Amino acid sequence: MNPYVLAILLSSLGIGTTLTFASSHWLLAWMGLEISTLAIIPLMAQQHHPRAVEATTKYFLTQATAAAMILFASTTNAWTTGEWNIQEMSNPTALVLITMALALKIGLAPVHYWLPEVLQGLDLTTGLILSTWQKLAPFALIYQISPMMNPTLVIMLGLASTIIGGWGGLNQTQLRKILAYSSIAHLGWMMIVMQYSPNLAILNLILYITMTTATFLTFKNVASTKLSTLTLTWSKTPMMTTMAMMTLLSLGGLPPLTGFMPKWLILQELTKQDLPLTASIMALAALLSLFFYLRMCYAMTLTIAPNTNNNTSTWRQKSSQTTMTLSITTTLALALLPITPAIMALTT
Amino acid sequence: MLKILIPTLMLFPTTWLVTPKWLWTTTTAQALVIATASLTLLNWNSETGWTSSNPYLGTDPLSTPLLVLTCWLLPLMILASQNHISPEPISRQRTYITLLVSLQLFLIMAFGATEIILFYIMFEATLIPTLIIITRWGNQTERLNAGTYFLFYTLAGSLPLLVALLVLQKELGSLSMLVIQYMQPAPLCTWADKVWWAACLVAFLVKMPLYGAHLWLPKAHVEAPVAGSMVLAAVLLKLGGYGMMRMIIMLEPASKNLAYPFIILALWGIIMTGSICLRQTDLKSLIAYSSVSHMGLVVAGILIQTPWGFTGAIILMIAHGLASSALFCLANTNYERLHSRTLLLARGMQAVLPLMATWWFIANLANLALPPLPNLMGELVIITSMFNWSNWTIILTGGGTLITASYSLYMYLMTQRGPVSTLIMAVEPSHTREHLLMALHLIPIILLMLKPELMWGWCF
Repeated sequence: MNPYVLAILLSSLGIGTTLTFASSHWLLAWMGLEISTLAIIPLMAQQHHPRAVEATTKYFLTQATAAAMILFASTTNAWTTGEWNIQEMSNPTALVLITMALALKIGLAPVHYWLPEVLQGLDLTTGLILSTWQKLAPFALIYQISPMMNPTLVIMLGLASTIIGGWGGLNQTQLRKILAYSSIAHLGWMMIVMQYSPNLAILNLILYITMTTATFLTFKNVASTKLSTLTLTWSKTPMMTTMAMMTLLSLGGLPPLTGFMPKWLILQELTKQDLPLTASIMALAALLSLFFYLRMCYAMTLTIAPNTNNNTSTWRQKSSQTTMTLSITTTLALALLPITPAIMALTT
Repeated sequence: MLKILIPTLMLFPTTWLVTPKWLWTTTTAQALVIATASLTLLNWNSETGWTSSNPYLGTDPLSTPLLVLTCWLLPLMILASQNHISPEPISRQRTYITLLVSLQLFLIMAFGATEIILFYIMFEATLIPTLIIITRWGNQTERLNAGTYFLFYTLAGSLPLLVALLVLQKELGSLSMLVIQYMQPAPLCTWADKVWWAACLVAFLVKMPLYGAHLWLPKAHVEAPVAGSMVLAAVLLKLGGYGMMRMIIMLEPASKNLAYPFIILALWGIIMTGSICLRQTDLKSLIAYSSVSHMGLVVAGILIQTPWGFTGAIILMIAHGLASSALFCLANTNYERLHSRTLLLARGMQAVLPLMATWWFIANLANLALPPLPNLMGELVIITSMFNWSNWTIILTGGGTLITASYSLYMYLMTQRGPVSTLIMAVEPSHTREHLLMALHLIPIILLMLKPELMWGWCF
């Protein structure tokens, strides 16, 4: 892709999200969402193969639907109450519609079907942008309308996403699909705590972005998109495979890794709100996700033959990819649990 | 506490910086020094029972014996793994030792924690190194299945525990073991309270393991390399017993009625798993089932909540930790020579390795609880308190003792006595390292006969 075009696309991606962040008016927020959608579409379709084009089309259709719903709902709200301000929404129908539209935008459970399909059609860098940066703008809107949202709807979205995200990933062999389901499950955790402690949801989003960035960059570094190619990575980059295994377990939420922190704090918040049953269901649904992370660990690091190989590895060129971001995010994805109090002080 | 934790932390640089030639020697020596230093914890003289230098880490008569056992086990694990890990590339040897050391680090913090949430996190943190040891260094392909069973049984039990602990924290405002025992326990009358009661204990019952939730254990033991089996049998199972003893004091009024099904399962499990041992063909599986059987007695002793029951449970945990770890080492010496765990293929080893037969004999006697050994003291104390609780339990506990004796003798006779199998050829003689390993297991058992009050817990 022409660097000028790339620069324009990336900056409009940034501008779109920033516009949504900065706006208190529904029309501007909608505009920001549309700008970032339109900016990422050429990035998604830059490889000219049918899979990418199909993914782009699917993405465009779902995002356009969601944006239209947002426009429709905010207009309805303005029509009935005369209020365009995001934080002042009060029409219940419009709120439900907007919640569902934003859920469709980030891929929460009953409306998640596009996410694995789309992510599978993209290359890993665009996939990374899709599953991190593109979540921010809709999430900012959810954060702002969270006090007014229908609590039953939010809880149902959260529970369904965690369970379906765990369930859907079980039978996958494609890494990007697995990561898509992992994203659905994590967003479920954020959704469930959204109304009780929105800052905790933000903390969870930040940590999820860190961990998933580490995972995407690892897969990009070893150029692997399937479980079967993942099994060959240990001989090329033994250290990185080991770390990637820990990152995956961190995504699965095993203590003493970073991934346990959001789960712990969210479960604590849920029990504080007298919802121990919801907390238990969430905790046990996390086991479903853990199973496919564990499968990736098995494939990548743990199923090497116990005896040593007699062959020396073939000559290969040193990788020229930069690993700075990867090493920083990996470190953050593994070792943040001991400083939980400091992080809590920063975010809440 | 820090005088153990910091040297343990410093084992990581030792492992990665020492020259390859001295890797095993240096790490063993340093671990042994740490183990010796940990013995000073046994000298407690505080009036409250707790010795703590800060509010988060401390030891009391219940945790100290287990903590010392943990520290004692690390040099033994390193010694035991030396033969089968040292042919590997040097970085993998270092990784392996790092895993063992990190396991010890987590275990020390688990036993030393005064905050129950810290205990919980460390209890879970031991899963990752153990999982890697089992699934990366196990020998058969079934190890993956074993790893999955291990992880998911434990987690499915312990995630409800996390929620239960958070609920408890919400109600009491604190989860510190130092103060929680003086707080008013919850009345526990609704159904939700009963579920909460179960959630508090199930994690530990799965870890022990209680009969019925034990299927992960034989798989994990059979597939794990020797160090994994040793630490699993000697310390990780004891985390369950320790956690139960910590939790059950807060569950006071409800436990009386709710504990019945678990006591029944535990006692019935002694008979059932003992009988499974009697017809076992796989040496490591036999030792694993024998662990389940012994832990059944521990569970029963804890659940009836008498001082004698608790004391017996700690004694049996320590004694069984050393004895079963010794048996796993012996099984490994056979495995390294014959490359099979099958009992039928390794008969008549007495004629081949006579000195090893002595160790087999002593370890088996310890396992079947011969009179002066602490294993007997533990079993006897638990059986007595169970008998006092209900006379009928003597049928199950006494029967269990008989079966334990039978399968221990069966194991001894199958492996050591009889004609040498014709399949055994060119067996390496036993190494000094292996004798040292056995001596370091069995000498503490024998010395503990002289001063058993070290592991009597709260009640001496």
